[in-house]
Amino acid sequence: MSESGHSWLRRISIGAGIILTAFILIVLLLIVTYSSPEQFISSLFSDEIQFAIYLSLATSLTSTFFCILFGVPAAYALARYNFRGKAFLNTILNLPLALPPLIAGVGLLLLFAQTPIGHALAEIGIEFIFTPLGIIVAQFFVNLPFMLRIMKSTFESIDPRYEHVARTLGCSEFEAFRRVTLPMAKNGFMAATVITWSRGIGEFGAALMVAGATRMQTESLPVAVFLNMSTGNLALATSAATILIIIAIVSLYLFERVGGKSGSGMF
Amino acid sequence: MLRIKDISKTLGDFHLNNVSLDIEDGEYMVILGPTGAGKTILLEAIAGIYLPDSGTIELNERDITFLDPKKRKVSMVYQDFVLFPHLSVYDNIAFGLKSEKTGPEEIDRRVHEMTEMLGITHLLKRDTLKLSGGEKQRTAIARALIMKPKILLLDEPLSALDGRTRDNLRKELRTLHQKYKTTVIHVTHNFEEVFSLADRVAIMNDGEIIQVGEPDEVFSKPNSPFTASFVGAENIFRGTITSGKGSSIITVGNLKFSSSAKDIEGEVYASVRPEEIMLSKMPIDSSARNSFAGIITSITNNGSMIVIEVDVGIPFITILTKRGLYDIGIAEGDTVYLTFKAAAVHVFY
Repeated sequence: MSESGHSWLRRISIGAGIILTAFILIVLLLIVTYSSPEQFISSLFSDEIQFAIYLSLATSLTSTFFCILFGVPAAYALARYNFRGKAFLNTILNLPLALPPLIAGVGLLLLFAQTPIGHALAEIGIEFIFTPLGIIVAQFFVNLPFMLRIMKSTFESIDPRYEHVARTLGCSEFEAFRRVTLPMAKNGFMAATVITWSRGIGEFGAALMVAGATRMQTESLPVAVFLNMSTGNLALATSAATILIIIAIVSLYLFERVGGKSGSGMF
Repeated sequence: MLRIKDISKTLGDFHLNNVSLDIEDGEYMVILGPTGAGKTILLEAIAGIYLPDSGTIELNERDITFLDPKKRKVSMVYQDFVLFPHLSVYDNIAFGLKSEKTGPEEIDRRVHEMTEMLGITHLLKRDTLKLSGGEKQRTAIARALIMKPKILLLDEPLSALDGRTRDNLRKELRTLHQKYKTTVIHVTHNFEEVFSLADRVAIMNDGEIIQVGEPDEVFSKPNSPFTASFVGAENIFRGTITSGKGSSIITVGNLKFSSSAKDIEGEVYASVRPEEIMLSKMPIDSSARNSFAGIITSITNNGSMIVIEVDVGIPFITILTKRGLYDIGIAEGDTVYLTFKAAAVHVFY
């Protein structure tokens, strides 16, 4: 340690960290400070941004709900049971993580536009193409692996003997899960929910393919940024972007707080 | 009566191989065996956590092999407690009664009755993570016993505790068993627990039950080389003890030896670890109070050590290194002296 002042490795590596931090801060500050506070407030209360906030919240909360509904049981199965094809399931369920969202969007578009399933759903009034439902299904598809991976590692960290004991104390399998495993998984669950939700709010590529980018119809916050950038309305675009940055910072803070304790080994 | 018939189960590296065992109502059965013998899976099969690959389990002539664990009235206590970390001591103990939809007043009454018995009433509001090992295990035992189980399964319940806590809890287990008359199956690798608790003992190794019987019988008449080497290497003797001031005399057959145990009278078990015994060709003049002449009946090389059996009226096992055997220069049939301290005599009852 006495030689640390002469250590070139120390200087170079810390220097790299500082340069990267500065790079990220500059990029974000350029967006946040583009508009004056007055401009930002007036953009914030414009009909267009109000609609985008509402649409983003509604779609991301709904898609997060469905990620929980399907992701938690699937994660439990992968953590607890051995069954044929488990490795295959695990790989495929994680695939959307590596896939470009745009490609996921193309696939979803084909599913809903060109297959009997899509047609049948459209028949009964469930339309995904160019509707907010399309945004929800795109977010669901792209973000499910986040819920799945965090919950899987959370369940894996809980000794199954807790459930065994609960079952000798009058619980059915499901009651043992609800009264013991689920409460023990609370921190991991909150971390997974926050990260899934914040990823949902920022989802752009897949949603763009399925739901398109129609002003005041499928205009979520990322779409608002995209549309206003293309028309040169930088004030509105940076306002929407600023909201997304604030959401990202708050989510990261919440995730670190609950996720740090849960021992979820994903990130 | 619990009747386990030809149970087989493979689970990862562990397995049970045609295990059969009958346990009477109210009996305290200790299953003794080395780590990896399959003792825990046997308990988990009885609890219904793992279903056997073959064989049957009957409780009071009813087949419970595939019965849902919650309907068996079989409770389990693990070595490492497995207390629910998100619940207080009170809620851990009340957990099973809540599953049975017992009313809150009844739960409260029974939780207090149970915790007073185990001396943990003052801990009820505590977080389980902040308890000592003994307090955790008392909580786990209370959580199991409050269900009034037909069978209480104890998986190495004392192994994770320090010496003194272990002694206390062992006595309490005996008291609880006498009071509740619950059928207990207690798994351990510790001999002392057999002598202080067991009505009968089953010796288990490599997924099989090797021998079942009363502790005396099993320890004095091992039916297989495994039982003999597992229980015999420890120089365990049954005898009577009479205590004097600060020490006591134990009589085993015609042999009397001193022990530093105090304030105990009656029938006891005494053991002397082989490595605590000095072997010499001539009497040793030392402060050790036990010294006996005997004849070497066998010298066996078990690989790392030389095991020497000496008959001094009762058979003693002692060990030497190969170098030690060479230096001392003895052979079967020679007369030698065994010397050990009174403090090396371990008394249990």
